[in-house]
Amino acid sequence: MDRGWYFRLAIVVGSSVLGFLALWPSVDRWLPCPDIVKETFENQINPGLDIKGGLRLMYEVEVDEYIRDRRDRIAEQVQRQCGVLIGVVPEEEADDIDRAKLDEIRQRCKVERVDKDGGAVRAIRITFSNQEDASKLSKTWVKDYFRDLRVASGVGDLVVDLHMREEQLANMRETAVRQSERTITNRIDSMGVLEPTVIARPNDGDIIIEIPGAQESSFERIKSIISRTAQLQFKIVDDESDSRSIFTTPPEGIYLNQGAQTFAEAFGEDARDRLRAYIATLPVPDDHELSIGRQEPDPDRGGEGWRTYYMYRVADATGEDLDDAAVGFDPQSGSPEVDFTMNTRGASRMADLTGRSIGKRMAIVLDDRVESAPVIQGQIGARGRITLGAYLDRNELLQEAKDLVVVLQAGALPAPLRPANEQLIGPTLGQDSVRKGAFAALVGVILVVVFMALYYQVAGLVADAMVLLNLQLLLGVMSGIGATLTLPGVAAIALTVGMAVDANVLITERIREELRLGKSPRSAVEQGYARAYSSVFDSQLTTAIAGVVLWQFGTGPIKGFATMLLIGIGTSLFTGTFCSKVLFDWLVRGLRVQRLRVG
Amino acid sequence: MEFIKPGTYIDFMKYRGPVITVLALMATLSLVSLFYPGPNYGIDFAGGTEVQLRFTGDTTSAEVRKALEDSGYARPDVISVEDQPNEYIIRVQEVSSLPTEQVEKIRETVAAALGEGVLQEMKVSPGGDKITLRVSGPVNEQQLQEALMAGGANVRSVNSLTGSRNPRYEAQLVGVADELMTELQERFGERAPADALRVEWVGPKAGEQLRDAAIQSLLYAIAFIMLYVAFRFDLRFAPGGVIAMFHDALITLGIYVLLQKEVNLTTVAALLTIMGYSINDTIVVFDRIRENMVRVRDKSLRELINLSTSQMLSRTIVTSLTTLLSVSAFFFLGTGVIQDIAFALGIGILIGTLSSIFIAAPITELMDRRLFSRTRG
Repeated sequence: MDRGWYFRLAIVVGSSVLGFLALWPSVDRWLPCPDIVKETFENQINPGLDIKGGLRLMYEVEVDEYIRDRRDRIAEQVQRQCGVLIGVVPEEEADDIDRAKLDEIRQRCKVERVDKDGGAVRAIRITFSNQEDASKLSKTWVKDYFRDLRVASGVGDLVVDLHMREEQLANMRETAVRQSERTITNRIDSMGVLEPTVIARPNDGDIIIEIPGAQESSFERIKSIISRTAQLQFKIVDDESDSRSIFTTPPEGIYLNQGAQTFAEAFGEDARDRLRAYIATLPVPDDHELSIGRQEPDPDRGGEGWRTYYMYRVADATGEDLDDAAVGFDPQSGSPEVDFTMNTRGASRMADLTGRSIGKRMAIVLDDRVESAPVIQGQIGARGRITLGAYLDRNELLQEAKDLVVVLQAGALPAPLRPANEQLIGPTLGQDSVRKGAFAALVGVILVVVFMALYYQVAGLVADAMVLLNLQLLLGVMSGIGATLTLPGVAAIALTVGMAVDANVLITERIREELRLGKSPRSAVEQGYARAYSSVFDSQLTTAIAGVVLWQFGTGPIKGFATMLLIGIGTSLFTGTFCSKVLFDWLVRGLRVQRLRVG
Repeated sequence: MEFIKPGTYIDFMKYRGPVITVLALMATLSLVSLFYPGPNYGIDFAGGTEVQLRFTGDTTSAEVRKALEDSGYARPDVISVEDQPNEYIIRVQEVSSLPTEQVEKIRETVAAALGEGVLQEMKVSPGGDKITLRVSGPVNEQQLQEALMAGGANVRSVNSLTGSRNPRYEAQLVGVADELMTELQERFGERAPADALRVEWVGPKAGEQLRDAAIQSLLYAIAFIMLYVAFRFDLRFAPGGVIAMFHDALITLGIYVLLQKEVNLTTVAALLTIMGYSINDTIVVFDRIRENMVRVRDKSLRELINLSTSQMLSRTIVTSLTTLLSVSAFFFLGTGVIQDIAFALGIGILIGTLSSIFIAAPITELMDRRLFSRTRG
């Protein structure tokens, strides 16, 4: 045998060994697997929702929050456009008004956010200080600039109420649910091969997520990653204004810290909730807000601490402008953090924001929680980082940093999610059905193997060896990538095993034809392979095209099916053409058989 | 061993008329069956109710299934829970549901009972087993339950939910699961459990979205396959392969529907598998036709198709046979869903083999006559 043949044999044996090692952790129950193998191949085949049961989560999208958020943003634009309306700024500068000008505009026409009927109607109220300015506002103006708004009352009066248009509300509902669905799918997908099913139902305003094979241990992590809103905002802390006057006498357990700036703080288990309840009662000016962030723990006062920050409401840059995020480590303390990069738009906003706020503090707010508020030392561009507060355990911080990267990369949810139903559900298939199915699979393989050996004799035995090698490789790859095995997946495996046999059948039939023409076994094998390649290749490739498309566009079970199909096509092409040739070559060149028995 | 003697030549094209007629008739019948009687969607598509319970005396899943079928539940799933003797998960297609007028009436009654502006939102769960209410301030649970009952809701209990900004309450309704428990208690007497361990409404795993995604990806797949076939072979071959693929899936689905077998996610997987098998089978025959077109110059396409199909007949039979062998093992030895998928695959393989010969190839010949009538007779 020539050098090339030994080389090919080495590839076959090597891949078989590798396939077995990758599969080993999955069959640990029957064949104890050494730890070193388990450490190298961390993944194993996960039984799917239908075989093992899984996690079923139902979330209601807080559409109201989304609508309120939209209203708040629109209110911001209304304020700016009012500046144009009353002639303080020219139209082209409406998007870029500095703080002094904004204050001037507010003096003459103040835009407020008003909630009516207990939050059922989200409105915007414009209060003009003189009749002359008020007379400039018309229905057409509202219609031209704000297609989401309609005038509810008071055109020409000093006080004008604008409401969100009803037909736009329905659209917003739909958008909020659809966007949430997309974000959730991205997040779960980036957590690995979990084969999730995400179903959005805009009419009910909820989303159903099913994750097969999820263990109770990973339950909490999956839940927190899915339901985290992940709205990242950068806001300027207002340390110049005197905020002392807005703090009323706090209830017991909340302390007022009256240093250079005044802030409230609380400690202990439910400190955050208590603090939040307290600040909800405070008269904060409309363009400012009080947010809560971590404070150094104080064991004397009850442990973990939280404090308030007084800052401008407007977010000058947000997570929407985020390009990428990664886990990093603080060069000094080595503590885990999240490094991020902004896209061009975000970078210029950031540069703008930091450039004119040197010496002030910038709050990095994630989901209504101030993660940190560093003093701006100089202009910052595209890169930034989120420190996670050094008060937690290092491993916890690292996990939090990783999870944060997942949610930041997948994007923010348009609105918070409220869990409606979280449960582990039972399998579709009982244990007895799985056992019977496995037995049937075994009998099926034996039937095929026996038939092939009888029909094609020696060539049949070669094909049989390939069927078994193919199965082993297929399961090895599945195990190696930690694929989820569901019933549709089993169907795909059955298809690929069938097609793997087909490749051998095609080749053997060709060898038969060549032998009938009186060729020697050696040249019959050469010719048989050469001629059969194109049909094997074309048939597998056509199916692979279907597989790729299904994988690209399909979700959940369809994607799982496609994954199995593609892996199967890969392994059966490898075993059917490459590996079987090694065996045949050994027969006709190594053993130099004079008559090749192909039935 | 040889099923087909070498050198066999069968004039397949001679029989294409009757076979195509039969297949076309089957396809039409299948298409009609999709609308009448229409698919019998399983829990995967339609949703259902899931109850987990533990019997106090010994029983088997077969016995439980029989009892439920006798009580009038169609195709209940009874699954024994691993390592827990006599514990079962029961899944039935029935869901409790409240008609819209009823929901409206409940809403009005509750809103009136609670006073102006207190009730902000009322929602009935899709499974009809829960009502959630959002109110502006805390209310008396007893009073809420009475108001719901007055509206006509069959309430079992009312709990307050915490953790959200506004106070919320959740009312559990008497539903399918309770009826099911009563049936079981009647039939099993003392052995039946007093309470269910867990009752859930199971939503459709495969909603519209999955259906749309499936259809969209199939259309793309078909487009790409046609492109590939047109590029690798030529334009004449593309439609035949794709139509045969469609045809196979359609007939399989039709047979499923006509037998009133449950259509669920597994069926979708089986259909995808059949389409994969079908295109694979067709391409192999096409490949031989293409090869013969180069090697055998003096024959008409019709004769070439006959020749190629005859040459490939042995392979076609062997491949179909081996696949059928393993599928039949699943059919005879498996249970439930596994049996169903094997059944679908079995039909698909038979139809797929026929369609490669009698649908794909004749369409190619037809295309040839339309497109290349001048060059080939």
